[in-house]
Amino acid sequence: MTQGLNLADIQATVLRNRPMPYWGAYVFMKITDPAQARELLSRLIPKITTSADWQEPNDQSWINIVFTHVGLAHLGVPADILDQFPEEFRVPMAKRNVYLGDVRDSDPSRWDYPFGTSDLHTALTVLAPDRQSLEKKLEIGRIALHGLTGVQVIGQLDVGVPSNFREHFGFIDGISRPFIEGQGGMPLPGQGEPFKAGEFFLGHANELGINAKGPGPQAFWMNGTYLSVRKLHQNVASFRQFLRDSATNSSDEEFLAAKMVGRWRSGCPLALSPDIDNPELAKDPRRNNAFAYYEDDPRGVKTPTSCHIRRVNPRDALRNSIVNPRLHRIYRRGVAYGPMLPDGVLVDDGVERGSVISFVNASPGRQFEFIQSQWVNDGDFISAGSDKDPIAGNHTDNHQYTFPAKRMRRRLAGLSSFVVTKGGEHVFLPGIGGLQWLAAGSW
Amino acid sequence: MAARVVQNERTTTAQHVARQPDGPGLRIGKRGELTGIGKVTADGARLFRERLPQVLAEAAYWENRIGTVHDFRIFLFDNDTRILFSIVYDGDFKPYVADLIREVSPWLDQIFGGVWEGYKSMKDPGIFDLVQNAKVEAEFFYAAFPDVTRRDIEKMQRLNNAVSAMLDAAS
Repeated sequence: MTQGLNLADIQATVLRNRPMPYWGAYVFMKITDPAQARELLSRLIPKITTSADWQEPNDQSWINIVFTHVGLAHLGVPADILDQFPEEFRVPMAKRNVYLGDVRDSDPSRWDYPFGTSDLHTALTVLAPDRQSLEKKLEIGRIALHGLTGVQVIGQLDVGVPSNFREHFGFIDGISRPFIEGQGGMPLPGQGEPFKAGEFFLGHANELGINAKGPGPQAFWMNGTYLSVRKLHQNVASFRQFLRDSATNSSDEEFLAAKMVGRWRSGCPLALSPDIDNPELAKDPRRNNAFAYYEDDPRGVKTPTSCHIRRVNPRDALRNSIVNPRLHRIYRRGVAYGPMLPDGVLVDDGVERGSVISFVNASPGRQFEFIQSQWVNDGDFISAGSDKDPIAGNHTDNHQYTFPAKRMRRRLAGLSSFVVTKGGEHVFLPGIGGLQWLAAGSW
Repeated sequence: MAARVVQNERTTTAQHVARQPDGPGLRIGKRGELTGIGKVTADGARLFRERLPQVLAEAAYWENRIGTVHDFRIFLFDNDTRILFSIVYDGDFKPYVADLIREVSPWLDQIFGGVWEGYKSMKDPGIFDLVQNAKVEAEFFYAAFPDVTRRDIEKMQRLNNAVSAMLDAAS
């Protein structure tokens, strides 16, 4: 089934758009008593926000709940079911670090607690348009936890939009997203053919024509999905210093920043405005994503083949290869943490800031992990040798970025890892029916 | 117990041979190898040789689309009762399985369908177990230029041609 998804069974994180401005929190929890954890779930289920009315929700804030593989075990889910989950979910992300490029500064031994440990079992995710609404949702969690000593809060990560309403490197983000069959509404120009729902929710046909399934009874996994969560520290000062060192003047700094990302900081795509920024175009949802590469820009003269947005979403650029980008698409949900580094500051102030990004995917190996290992941290697929994503790649052994320019190519040397992984885990986001199955505990 | 390497002037260029980080086979730098052995069906050898001219003629087309394979060899041996395939390629294997199944099944089915016992189609879910049971990890693996990929070679060829054309024009 897909025709008209049962949005009231899907947790809000998947389809609800981030409010702007936003405040939010991740509340990390450890389970020591399965029965009490199931009691917590029973109390929470009526309050969990779904994707129903995602286009015009009555309440702009939401509360959702996710589980790690070890968390489901602590909830009491039998091993024969847990063993059937895909390897990427069963094995902690910290153990897949070499494959995912989480080495040196990004090594799991340097991750922030509780990431990289076996303590992270379940988490509440809360997002709201103002502090008061955030507090109300957090209160729901506190009330549900009351008297349940078998579920301990082991940490909280507060998130919120930086004061310039952009992500920390200064870009407007969250512009491009896939359109999913049955989500309701109409696709925007540039979203292309709707994606089969099975790429993003279990229980539906995917792009391979296979019904995406989870382990155990359908009641457990129907309309559930995986979030590949990454906590990414952003070295804003070193990014700014790199632009300053590489550019000939301040407008060239903006040009280089755009060439690294594929969009100007306003969100305006280079594909539609390659030489100057056009903030008005960036604001128009019918224009700001309406582009493709294969016919218009095969060599990457406008949008470099090696820039961030063309790597993580090559659109139609790989038509001459066997790789079908429709099998490797993710729904990106990003929020920022930490205060903005004031404009013009080029020296690190030692303050923690970055992004928490949840990549929604029904097949983490084929979607998030493929993109991270093959497209972000390698360059062979675009004949760029070992070059990595200039802004999101882990530049431990390769420090250059090359893009076509007028007359001659331009090569920037001295790239460092502007993004450092501080945590990561694949978590399961069950549907409402799945949460009820977990709460019942009658496996 | 394995003997230790005696360091000398011939071991200074030793290559680091490892396992594929996510998939079967050995790996040196960017180069991986995948080898498998299976049984040939009763009529398999005849069928294989009947189709051979066509699958051979299409090999470059399919491999160009895959873009990472350097060598691909198939043997029928033991009086045509067994089949062995050996592939040397760039990068990772496992992440590309879904794409291979979707895009290259028609060609691989012509090679292995009805020939390799147990092989139904690349699209058959049982293909993973079949390959898993057939795989034989190489004991010895050497690769020239292990960090230069097939796409790197293509790029160097283009560059070489362009430089030659420029020098020709200047002379």
